[in-house]
Amino acid sequence: MTRKSILQVFGVILGLGMLMACGLISPEASFAATHPDGLGVGKPMCSECHTNEVSKGALKPYATFDHTPTFVQDHRFQANQDVNTCGACHAQSFCTDCHGGKVPMKPATRLSDRPDRVAPHRGDFLTLHKIEGKLDPTSCYKCHGRANNDKCLTCHR
Amino acid sequence: MKSRTKVALLTALAAATGWSQEITVQGTTIAQMWKQEIPGFDKATFTPATQYLGIDATKLGTEKLSLHLFGWGRVDLADSSTLDGSKGGGYLNYGYLQYRFDQANAEIKAGRFTVNQSTGFEQVDGVSARTDLRGGFTASAFYGAPVLYKTVDPISRADYRFQRDVIFGSRLAWRLPRVMEVGVSYLQDGTKAAKDLPLPSATDYTRKQLGMDLLLTPTTILDLRGRTVLDVASHADVAPGAKEPSKIAEHDYTATLKLGSQVSVSGNFVERNFFAYFAGTNLPSLFRQDERGMFKAWGGKVAWTTAASFQVTADYRHTHRETTGDANRFGGDMIWDFNEKSVLLGAGGHWVNAADTKFVDPAAPYRSLSYKEARVWTLITKGKFSASLDGILQRYNHENPYLAGLRNVYEAVGSLGYQVTSNLKLSGDLSYGSNPVSKNETRGLLRAEYRFGTAKKGGQ
Repeated sequence: MTRKSILQVFGVILGLGMLMACGLISPEASFAATHPDGLGVGKPMCSECHTNEVSKGALKPYATFDHTPTFVQDHRFQANQDVNTCGACHAQSFCTDCHGGKVPMKPATRLSDRPDRVAPHRGDFLTLHKIEGKLDPTSCYKCHGRANNDKCLTCHR
Repeated sequence: MKSRTKVALLTALAAATGWSQEITVQGTTIAQMWKQEIPGFDKATFTPATQYLGIDATKLGTEKLSLHLFGWGRVDLADSSTLDGSKGGGYLNYGYLQYRFDQANAEIKAGRFTVNQSTGFEQVDGVSARTDLRGGFTASAFYGAPVLYKTVDPISRADYRFQRDVIFGSRLAWRLPRVMEVGVSYLQDGTKAAKDLPLPSATDYTRKQLGMDLLLTPTTILDLRGRTVLDVASHADVAPGAKEPSKIAEHDYTATLKLGSQVSVSGNFVERNFFAYFAGTNLPSLFRQDERGMFKAWGGKVAWTTAASFQVTADYRHTHRETTGDANRFGGDMIWDFNEKSVLLGAGGHWVNAADTKFVDPAAPYRSLSYKEARVWTLITKGKFSASLDGILQRYNHENPYLAGLRNVYEAVGSLGYQVTSNLKLSGDLSYGSNPVSKNETRGLLRAEYRFGTAKKGGQ
C-alpha cells in the first residue's frame, strides 16, 4: 500500500471514529454545577432529603454520599469514581486542606479552631510519626510519597 | 514550561476574572508566633505570616466557562521557621479554566488541576476531559506535565526532571444505576524510565499503573467498594535467586452493612507491596524502591448514631509488616451534638499494641512501639461568638528512645472566634504542650477568614 492510501484509510477511520464518538455521548442533561440550596452546619446526610432517589450524575443512591464516619474515613473511593459530585458542594480548596501538593502548615494547625473536622497530625505528630512510619509507611506515602515532602527531606536524606 | 511562562499564564488567568459575571474570593490570613530556647543554641522567635487565597469566577462570557485559582504565600517576619532556612515561600495549588457542557456531565479543564482516578490523586499542568457515554459508560482522560517537587540533591533533581517529562492517563467505567460501578484506569508518569537511560539511573521516578475501582450496592443495606492498583512498568531484571517483586501495588476494599437506620458495621482489607506501591517517589531514601516487603491490614468499625445526635464508633485494625511484625490498634470515638449543633462534644481513645515489633534499632532490639492516645474536644457556637477546646494526650511505653525521658506527650489548643460580618470571621488560638523536642511549648495564632462574592451557594 502506498503512503497516500495509508493516510487516506487512516483519515477515513479517524473521521468515522469522531462521528461515532459524538453519537456515543450520553444525551442526558448534566447535573447542577453547585448544590442549589445552602447546606447547614456539620456533615450532611444526603439521604435525609434525597430519600430513595438515585443521584443524577453518579447514578448511585444518595445514601452512598451520606457523610458518616465510614464515608469520611474512606472517601477516597467516592472521590475516585465521582469527584464531580463532590464538586457540587465542595470547592477544590476544601480538598487541598489535606491533599495540597505543598502546604505551609499541617492541617491540624490550619484547622485548629475546628476540632470537629478530621484533620491529620493533631498533637505532637513528629514523635508519633517515628512509630507510625515503622508500623505502616504506606499511611505516610499517600500524602507525602510523591509530593508535600519538603519537610521530610530535611532529615530523610 | 519555563517559570516566566507560568507567571505570564497565571497573570492572564487572574485578569480573566474581570470578565466574570459571578466571582467569589475566599481567603485565610494566619499569623503565628512561638519562641524557642534550647540550651547551647541561640534563642529564636518565629512569626510566620501565611496567606491562603482562592478565586472562583463563573460565567466568563458564557454560562459554561469558569476559572478557579487557589494558592498560598508565606513570609517569616522574624527568624526563619522552616527547616531549610528560607524566610518565604508560596505555591499554586490549582489554577484552571473549566468548560461544562449542558449534556452528559461533560467538562474540559486546562491549567493546573488535580485528577482523581483509581490510580490515585495526581496534580497535572495540562488538559483533561470527561464525559458520560450511552449505555452507562463514562470516559475521562488527561495529559500534561507533572507538577515537580524537591528531591534530595541537585543531581537527583536533574534526573527527576528528565525522567518525568509528561503525565497522562485515562479512565473508562461502566455503571448499572443504583447497583454497581466498575472502572479501569491507566496512568503513565514519565516516558524515560531509569533502566532505559544510556547511563542507568539508580532511581526510577517514572510510573506505569493500571487501576481497577469497584462499587457494588446489591441492596440498600450492603455496599462493597474498593480498588486494585497494578504496577505494569517493566523493570530491570532481578539478580539470580532473588525474589521477583509483586506487581500488585495495592488492594484496598471496604464492605459496609447497615443494620437499621442507626447502626452500620464496616470491614476493611488492605494489601500493599512496597516495590510497586512506592513507584515514582521523589524521596527514595525514605520510601525505598529496593524494599520487597509487603504490608497487610484488616479491621472493622461499628458506628451507632442515635436520633438524639449522639454518635459512637468502635474500631479495630490489625496490621502486619513483614520487616517489623504485627500491631493491633483498637479504640473508639464519641461525638455528641446538642442544642442544634451549637454545642459539639467529642472524645476518643485508642491503644496501639505493638509489643512484638521486630528488630528496628540496633541499640534496642525488640523495643515496643506501643502507645495509648486520648482526645477530648468541644466546639461551642453562640450567636457571633465561637469557642473551642481540644486536648490530646499520647502515652508511650517506657524504654522508647525517641522520648528524651518523657512518657506523656500532650497538647491543648483553645480558640476564640467572632463572626464580624457574614463574610468575615476573626479567631485566635493559644496552644500549650509538652513533647520530646520542646518540654514546654506555647504557641499563638491569629486567623482572619473572609469570603466575598456574588456566586450562588455551594462550593464550600
